[in-house]
Amino acid sequence: MSSPEIMRRIVEAEKESKRILQEAEQEIAKMKKELPNKIASMRQEILREVAQQRERLLVEAEKAGAEDAEQIALETRKKVEALSRTREARRKQALEKAMALLLS
Amino acid sequence: MSSSLEKLVEDIIRESKTKAEELKKQALGQVEETLAKERADAVREADLIIRSAKSEADAERSRRISQAKQQARLLYLAEKNKVVRDVLNDLRSRLVRFAQDDPSYSQFLLKSIARGLEAVPSEAVKIALSERDIRRFKGTKMLEETLATTRTPRKAVLSDKPIARTGGAVVTSGDGKIRADCTFEARLELMEPRLLAEISRILFAS
Repeated sequence: MSSPEIMRRIVEAEKESKRILQEAEQEIAKMKKELPNKIASMRQEILREVAQQRERLLVEAEKAGAEDAEQIALETRKKVEALSRTREARRKQALEKAMALLLS
Repeated sequence: MSSSLEKLVEDIIRESKTKAEELKKQALGQVEETLAKERADAVREADLIIRSAKSEADAERSRRISQAKQQARLLYLAEKNKVVRDVLNDLRSRLVRFAQDDPSYSQFLLKSIARGLEAVPSEAVKIALSERDIRRFKGTKMLEETLATTRTPRKAVLSDKPIARTGGAVVTSGDGKIRADCTFEARLELMEPRLLAEISRILFAS
């Protein structure tokens, strides 16, 4: 093989080597360029899920609060009914005592 | 010669491929590291939002419970109050009947007058009664008997002007400056806190 031929092969190899490196740099640049969008979409996904979770928590709490309130109201109604059924004997006793106090 | 040239060419290409792979690996590592850091930040932010939502939810539930308890307490107290007031109203009706036809009413009336006379330290006093009691007193010695029970001798006159009361008497000094109201209504007003407490004690004793 002649010297010019050897030189040509080496130059071609150098060119190929440069192309390989340039291709790698382009891939890296593309990767870096896409990074902010990847981050934004990842954040968006996490925050969307958290917003749904927050909404669920508030709705559940409101429902639980309403159930508790209903239970309290029910118990109170029972107590109030029991009060209005205060036995006649006690009412009479209270009336007699009040009368006695007033006339004393 | 040809084979050593081929080797040289292969070396050049392999070296650049290796370097390219290294560069890509390094860049990928940086990207993954940045993504992981950003993810951790977002998760931390999400945790804060959830923690705050839990507090908000707990507060909302507590607010509803507290509101319901407060309403229940007011309702129960109002009902209790109604039951007590009903007894007090029964007492008022009973006093009306008592003043109308109970034989022991006269005794109470005389005691009221005596109480009024003791409260008004005046030589001359005026005694005011309800219309029914004026009729009951007229032509009897009841006033004189009552005056006799007081410690000091008094000059007492029965007022012709009736008072709008259920029963009892109002004793006024001669100059009108001192007045002792010994009627049912006055006693009820004066004793109401004690009566309410006593009625409640009997009604709601466990």
